[in-house]
Amino acid sequence: MNSLTNRRQLLKNAGAGFGSLAFASLLAQEGMLQAGEGLDPLAPKKPHFGGKATSVIWLFINGGPSQVDTWDYKPELEKMDGKELKGFDKNTGFFAGSVGPLMKSPFEFTPRGECGKMVSSLFPKLGEHVDKMAFIHSGFTESNNHSPALFMMNSGQPRMGLPCLGSWVTYGLGSESRDLPAFVVMSDPLDRGLPKGHAANWGAGFLPSVYQGTWLKPKGDPIENLNRPTHMNSEQQQRQLALLQELNQQHQKSAGELELEARIKSFELAYRMQNAAPEAFALDSEPQHIRELYGLDEKRCQHFGRQCLTARRMVERGVRFVQIYSGGMENQRSWDGHNDIYGNHSQFAGETDIPIAGLLTDLDQRGLLEDTLVIWGGEFGRLPLSQKSNKPGRDHNPHCFTTWMAGGGIRGGVTHGESDEIGHHAAVDRVHVNDLHATILHQLGFDHEKLTYAYNGRRFRLTDVGGEVISSIVG
Amino acid sequence: MNRCTLLFALLACSHLSLISAAQQASESKPIAPDHIVKMKAGTELFRDVIRPALVENCLKCHGGEKVRSGFDLSTRKLLLQGGDSGEVVDLKVPDDSYLLSLIRHDDEPVMPPAQDKLPDKLLADFAKWIELGAPYDKPLLEKIGDGPKSMRVTESDRDFWAFRPLTEVAPPIVESNWPKNEIDPFILAKLQDNGLSPNPQIDDRTRIRRLYLDVIGLPPTPEQMQHGLEISHAALVDELLDSPHYGERWARHWLDAARFAESHGFEQDYDRKFAYHYRDFVIKALNNDMPWDQFVRWQIAGDELAPNEPLAMMATGFLGAGVFPTQLTEKEFESARYDELDDMAATVGTAMLGLTIGCARCHDHKFDPIPVRDYYRFVANFTTTIRSEVDVELDAVGFQKKLAAWRDSHALKESKLAAYRNRNDIETSFENWLKTEAAASVSAQPWSMLAIAFATSDQAATTLTEQEDGAILASGSAPAKEIYTIRGSSSLRQIRFLRIEALTHTSMKRNGPGRASNGNFALSNLEVLVKPDASSAHEKSTWKPVKLNSARATHQQNTKHLSVEAAIDQDTANTGWAVDFGGIGKDQAAVFVLDAPLEISNESELEVRMTFYNNSQHSLGRFRVSLSDRSDPPVRVGDSQDPGMSAAIAALESGDLQDEHRTTLFSVYAATQPEYVALHKAVEQSLAEKPQPKKTKVQVSSEGFPPTKHHADGRGFPHFYPETHFLSRGDPNQKLGVAPSGFLQVLTKSGKAEEYWKQVPPEGWKRTSFRRANLANWLTDPEYGAGELLARVAVNRIWHHHFGRGIVATPNDFGLQGKPPTHPELLDFLSQYLITSGWSVKQIHRKILLSATWLQNTTATAEKLKIDPENQWFWRLTPRRLEAEIVRDSMLALSGQLDEKMFGPGTLKPDQSRRSIYFMIKRSRLMPMMQIFDQPEPLSSQGSRPSTTIAPQALLFMNNGQVVRWAAGFAQSLDRTDAAVAVQELYQRALGRAPNESELQSNVEFLRQQAASYGNDRGQELALADLCQVIFGLNEFIYLP
Repeated sequence: MNSLTNRRQLLKNAGAGFGSLAFASLLAQEGMLQAGEGLDPLAPKKPHFGGKATSVIWLFINGGPSQVDTWDYKPELEKMDGKELKGFDKNTGFFAGSVGPLMKSPFEFTPRGECGKMVSSLFPKLGEHVDKMAFIHSGFTESNNHSPALFMMNSGQPRMGLPCLGSWVTYGLGSESRDLPAFVVMSDPLDRGLPKGHAANWGAGFLPSVYQGTWLKPKGDPIENLNRPTHMNSEQQQRQLALLQELNQQHQKSAGELELEARIKSFELAYRMQNAAPEAFALDSEPQHIRELYGLDEKRCQHFGRQCLTARRMVERGVRFVQIYSGGMENQRSWDGHNDIYGNHSQFAGETDIPIAGLLTDLDQRGLLEDTLVIWGGEFGRLPLSQKSNKPGRDHNPHCFTTWMAGGGIRGGVTHGESDEIGHHAAVDRVHVNDLHATILHQLGFDHEKLTYAYNGRRFRLTDVGGEVISSIVG
Repeated sequence: MNRCTLLFALLACSHLSLISAAQQASESKPIAPDHIVKMKAGTELFRDVIRPALVENCLKCHGGEKVRSGFDLSTRKLLLQGGDSGEVVDLKVPDDSYLLSLIRHDDEPVMPPAQDKLPDKLLADFAKWIELGAPYDKPLLEKIGDGPKSMRVTESDRDFWAFRPLTEVAPPIVESNWPKNEIDPFILAKLQDNGLSPNPQIDDRTRIRRLYLDVIGLPPTPEQMQHGLEISHAALVDELLDSPHYGERWARHWLDAARFAESHGFEQDYDRKFAYHYRDFVIKALNNDMPWDQFVRWQIAGDELAPNEPLAMMATGFLGAGVFPTQLTEKEFESARYDELDDMAATVGTAMLGLTIGCARCHDHKFDPIPVRDYYRFVANFTTTIRSEVDVELDAVGFQKKLAAWRDSHALKESKLAAYRNRNDIETSFENWLKTEAAASVSAQPWSMLAIAFATSDQAATTLTEQEDGAILASGSAPAKEIYTIRGSSSLRQIRFLRIEALTHTSMKRNGPGRASNGNFALSNLEVLVKPDASSAHEKSTWKPVKLNSARATHQQNTKHLSVEAAIDQDTANTGWAVDFGGIGKDQAAVFVLDAPLEISNESELEVRMTFYNNSQHSLGRFRVSLSDRSDPPVRVGDSQDPGMSAAIAALESGDLQDEHRTTLFSVYAATQPEYVALHKAVEQSLAEKPQPKKTKVQVSSEGFPPTKHHADGRGFPHFYPETHFLSRGDPNQKLGVAPSGFLQVLTKSGKAEEYWKQVPPEGWKRTSFRRANLANWLTDPEYGAGELLARVAVNRIWHHHFGRGIVATPNDFGLQGKPPTHPELLDFLSQYLITSGWSVKQIHRKILLSATWLQNTTATAEKLKIDPENQWFWRLTPRRLEAEIVRDSMLALSGQLDEKMFGPGTLKPDQSRRSIYFMIKRSRLMPMMQIFDQPEPLSSQGSRPSTTIAPQALLFMNNGQVVRWAAGFAQSLDRTDAAVAVQELYQRALGRAPNESELQSNVEFLRQQAASYGNDRGQELALADLCQVIFGLNEFIYLP
């Protein structure tokens, strides 16, 4: 056991149970409690083999970040700037009527870190961390349209209704945290909308709904029903719960059902959650140097900084899977730079550069990065051509995008796969979305072909009939 | 079979189906001696010449992408079958072949169309090939499922338990007096086989509470409990099955299986506003005990089988209830449509047949005998089926009846009125009145309405209709800008003023009088023209503008560009009369002064042209045009005469009374005669009571109606493609020929062909293909089709929901991957019973609810748990958490706030007070309180819900504002004068029993302490509410006893 596990354990147990007297009898029946736990769908479970990662923070770069303007340096594209791309299929992107010529990146690339990775000027801070990252430049997907591509990236198929990665992971591993939801999702807090497809992106599909992502409301109380009714004080609620447990216990004595026992226990857990969860969201307790690290005092990035810091606090408390969406819905409200790619990406990179760099630094300094897998990527990439507009933009590109991962046993400073010379198609060591998922599951200790769920006559899996672990980036 | 024929058979099999086909064709005669030689030569010719020619010139329209004229030449068998116009290839007289005459251009339509004739050499080869017997070396298309490795459905496949015919079973003989009906011996026998015995029967109060929760999903009130104790179990079962709440509870189970929701899903998640009718259909069908086969038939093809039945139309909502991505790029159009077809076919499969048909989309089913070929043929039944919103007459028959009755009674009233008018004494008296009193009685009004000839807008979206009070009402969606033109005449001889009354109406925002989003209008320009003699043929020369020189109004928005004079100023587009800032929602009038008095005659025609260009949609919603010959008519609303009265008054003055004038004046006279007034009133009232058709918009799944529009229409989404194709690996880019519609071979008995279930459409029926009607016939046919499996699946669902576990534990999967039945004979018995009872679902409920099996208590013993921990042999009723809807509805009922209104649109308001089934199901906004208790996401068919126990549920009972309010409502209804009395009542109402001594004591003590802790005058009230909330959290409250 490393110190990290101990710290997590400590934090987990910090919330105090209610009505300890009422529970005296309950605790005396330890055997029953244990048995009741077997019915808990969120009880921690062991994966297929010892995984390197135990939690995931997925920074969803919503709208489709442009690979050639971020991490995939394409000197050839510079040379071909302004030229027509012969044989280009106008229906590749979303707007067949506004296809422009090839367009070089408006951003400058410089070598960063010890590995010398060429990184765009969009990421002055994040560029410092390239030695922690494994880049995949040869990703491709199956849809050129936001919501199917989002579903693809989240659930492995471009359709609505399948369980997402976070649900599969929660189903497979259960929850380490008894006080917080196992799988949380944060969306844009600046009123720019939800990712396209809304809650279906973190839905459990046919898995029991307990595995769906808990969406933290960007305003007000992040989780439903966490606050005691306003008309009563803590003592009064405890009296209620003590009576409830007493009556349920009496009933249970005659019924003797494990499920009923589990339900009695769930009230204890709920009470602990009510006390502990607000603490987990209380960022004010963080010291100034941490606030600065995440950019909480900078106007343009404080909203995302708060979400990154919340993510760290969640992971620290045993939350299994955290997903944060950068940007809201589409066009100028997210990384969907149809118009003015320069302005669009400058804005959204500006919102996230410091916070993500801060998150990586902070996870690293706390020893959390070892077993926390951090993922950066969107639902597809963007075309190396310009999209005609007042200020040129770039249209969707399902054929090529870049994803990076860090921590959780991923090798740092490496690159897997290549796009073609202009960043239009994934060319070398192509990586399907199923492969990305297989790799993530692998880091968590799962054989993606064996993590299955039987539903309507079929054993479903996240990777459907595909998926291959990207062995070059797993440590 | 001797060696020789065996060899031949092998040869035939290995050599392609063409030989067996040829064999069939010449069944009666012996095979010609040169047969083999000819076939060989023909095959070579085909391979080298004919095949490439067919593929290049013919296949696309005849079997490749389409099947034009019903002719498919992708296989030899189909070629020989011919098309709509009969035989295409004549093997007996090869040169007479229709095919040859078409490609030789001897006959119309020439083939290939719009192309030069094929080379003569090729034409000769075609003739030669047909002469040689038109053999194929292999089909032109490797149609799916035709390959040597593809799945064949065999008799042994049909021998799987679920596909076997139902067996006639009698309950086993058991030595026991435990059984109460036929179900019990089946159960008891298995219990005994497994060393188990049934649990004791529940006590009466528990039984009644269980029955209420199970059948109607609400706890019994103390009065209902008392009533239940007084009547027999069977009588109570009947009462509850007859309750309208039964449908509200049990419909929800089917809605899970039907993946029912009221929005498209995906990114826009547009509402399907008229989808709720399907939910209402399910509730009504269950309440009416609609036979299950009809229930299924209507959901598949109600629009074809009973198009005049509103419920049948609503039922088709089933097919279109799945998700659909409304934002599509061109590349996704076809695959999205195939996904939609898959959703329909897969849901029919799982919900109705317990078969995972959808698994055969990319390859033959891995486990069940469903070849990929069957999949596409099954899917093809839905090829042209789309979602539409149509007006449905809710009660067509009833309406016609009512209308006929009304006509009779109305005619009688009219005739009485007419008889009065024709009475001699009345006529005499009227004539007297005309001479003596008429002139004084009909005092002329200062304003006379324009007698309207026509009124129109230059924008098609607007319809202008004249109303009874002479006003004109605009309807339709208001265009951005428009011009109204009104023509008419007047009985005045001189016109000095023209008045426009701008009138309010409920059809407009804030009642108008304008159509803008704030109720305003802006009359940018008003023009008046006159044609002195309307009968004149020289229109051009006779229309003259009438000059208006000033104006006044009851209200104007300002004194500048929105004043009344702005309507007649030089600027005809940007300034005009508007009435905001005090004038909205009220009638207004504007009076325009003619530059000079205008002399007109009866033959003159006037035109009033109103331009509304100031602002978007700022046209008038209701208005009236009047004229005046007075010197100073009032500037206000009203004081006008309709044109008829104006004319009559003029005639009276001039002494030239015509019939129409007399009629008009008679109404003035008769208004003073009580007898007439009464008769007239009766007619008026009767008119007001004329029955109106009750049309309502319904979302249907049908063919030939306009599709429900959505986002992707903007890019030209076609909604459907005329043909369904076999696809390789489910990929629309890899088509393998047109898939004709068909059914599943494994469920088709005695080798019946599709034609057996063919339903002939009524004469003249064109709108739909009737493929779904055929499918419905096959699905519900127990003799040769899928009906027996349909019955098994239905019965098992009912059992599953009564016991928490089906006889088949996987209600959506009766295939090889599903669980086999624990009591196969019982399943067959009940299925048979369903069919023989006329597919009555309520009969199955009755059977189950009256069984000793269902009446067992829930108690578990370690011994029994050890033998059968999952209770698969049904030695008890497994206690289980009530479903989300019952949990909520129970609290709501106890709060006293339950609104029992049934049917109609649902709502997304979490705090609504109707039963939970009336929540609108919007895929992106599912109800948290439903989800937390495992209501499934409506994405694909769900046969059984998980039942989870998680902390957020406990948090809901502890902290949810709605729960707190319900508890307060519950407490309000309790007697608060004495704590013990309140607790007694609370237990009776919430749990259907009295508290025991220790419970009573704990509760009373809680009330004392809690009330004291509040320490104010509301302490007792709050404490009781807190106690009610505790009771909501009890296991006993939310578990089926």
